[in-house]
Amino acid sequence: MRKILWRMWQVTWAEQWQYRGNLLTYALYGLISPIVFLSVWRTIAASQGGVNGLTANDFTAYYLILLLVDTLTSEITLQLLAHKIQDGSLSGELLLPVHPVLTRALVNNLANKVLIFIALLPVWGVLVLLFRPDFSGVTPFHLVLALVAMGIGFVIHFLLGALITCAGFWITRVYALSQFIYAFATLLGGAFVPLTLLPDFVQPVAQFLPFQLYLYFPIELILGKLDPGQIGLDFGLQAAWLLGLSLAFLGVWRAGLRRFSAVGA
Amino acid sequence: MPMNTGGVDPIIVEGLGKIYQVAERTGGFRSALGSFFRRKYRDVQAVDQVSFRIGPGEMVGFLGPNGAGKTTTLKMLSGLLHPTSGQARVLGFTPWQRRPGYLRAMTLVMGQRNRLSWDIPAADSFLLNQAIYQISDGDYRRTLAELDELLELEPIMRKPVRNLSLGERMKCELAAGLLHRPQVLFLDEPTIGLDITAQARIRAFLQEYNQRTGAAILLTSHYMADVTALCERVIIIHQGRLKYDGSLNELSRRMAPFKIIGLTLAGAVTADLRPYGKPLPNSDGAGKRYIQIPAEQGATIMARLLADLPVLDLTVEDPPIEDVIKQVFHE
Repeated sequence: MRKILWRMWQVTWAEQWQYRGNLLTYALYGLISPIVFLSVWRTIAASQGGVNGLTANDFTAYYLILLLVDTLTSEITLQLLAHKIQDGSLSGELLLPVHPVLTRALVNNLANKVLIFIALLPVWGVLVLLFRPDFSGVTPFHLVLALVAMGIGFVIHFLLGALITCAGFWITRVYALSQFIYAFATLLGGAFVPLTLLPDFVQPVAQFLPFQLYLYFPIELILGKLDPGQIGLDFGLQAAWLLGLSLAFLGVWRAGLRRFSAVGA
Repeated sequence: MPMNTGGVDPIIVEGLGKIYQVAERTGGFRSALGSFFRRKYRDVQAVDQVSFRIGPGEMVGFLGPNGAGKTTTLKMLSGLLHPTSGQARVLGFTPWQRRPGYLRAMTLVMGQRNRLSWDIPAADSFLLNQAIYQISDGDYRRTLAELDELLELEPIMRKPVRNLSLGERMKCELAAGLLHRPQVLFLDEPTIGLDITAQARIRAFLQEYNQRTGAAILLTSHYMADVTALCERVIIIHQGRLKYDGSLNELSRRMAPFKIIGLTLAGAVTADLRPYGKPLPNSDGAGKRYIQIPAEQGATIMARLLADLPVLDLTVEDPPIEDVIKQVFHE
């Protein structure tokens, strides 16, 4: 299997490289919201001396780290496979003796991520020089933990994306469903604002949903803002969601394939 | 190369059936609105009680008009579709269980579907298939060289697939589907849309591949030239039901027990040919005239024609296979 994945990596890397212009644009597009939020909240915090205990520097550091974490834990399974389910071209992949989602789509996600990350890094460097955030709370220990959290977070996000993609077995177009869930994920994952700025009754809900596990949790972990109890809780939640989503995906995929083959692949 | 176990038919199909549920509505806004709240479904019997066996090394033509159930049958046999009823064993596997061992031993090549990655050269997809099918470096090099010799891949496999012509793409699709040397090939319209030269090339390749590897091949095509060149045996289905399973020659004998005689007569002879057989419209415009005669009276009628008329040239042909098969559909 290692050889298969390595060869897939080489091929999907070459494939993603073909789309480098598109990827670069995508990377630049991903910068817009965080930079806007960063600028707005920074200004508000500076003028009011802080927002809910968060200083201008807290916002700067938060959104700049968000840019990296979001890139490292994002996923594109829907873009890779939804149209293939819709037009039946998934058949070609089903003829191969490997799982289309857990091999090719997964590797394709990783190749895409690496290319976007490479494109993002120089821009990120410029932004750091421009905004000069204080990263003094970041420690190597937290960075190592955050790498683990981002690894698990990516798999959680990938499985969520794969599940939404699987909805395509039952409904013709899944893009609206995906956008609907994405809106919740953006709000409850911490992409709009740090979760501590959400209304009090929303925060516990966001805590236990999977969205913050691949965004807010790694960001706060990198910034050294979480106490050991919270870190343990979030890793526990990651393990639970990882297990739950893995089982859900395998079940839904199997049912989806039966459905795919019932209506005519 | 994996071999077929001697004596056992690689493809055994018994009472295979497939019913699709198809959403349907009449045209217009009201109907569209109605179907939004309450969708109506109709059962469509795509394949009905189809049974056949294909022996080791056999190359069989699978014929039928559009919507006859050919592709559905091929998809069931390649594990893409679950049947509604019946059984199938291919190389000892139940196809729709989709065991990796089965997927590694067969291939389905669809002329109208692209399996190669569009934006990268076919050579990259071949390498990926090498890894996926766990083909050793030696076997990969040997098979690719062989496929290159038969299909002339070298000049085309390094261009992105999207830049290839239809014929070039089909060659690469076939190569990608055969790199793992499958023992069973399901080919769905492998020559569709290709020009005459490319069709002939693919045909010659399939014949050669079949002879070299002994693979069993089930082939659908709307081009009868494919079938007559490659298959001694044909299976015909119509509206999901098996209508004929046997040799092409026997089909001609049974469905069209007549011959077509072409005559070129000396001078401007306008002899009445009706006493000899049924006159047919002249299609070549070269002054040749055609009559249809009962096959068993061929020798007698030809002797009479030669004795009675100033014959310059006489040809005897079988009726076009397309006409014969059309007759099966209308039976």
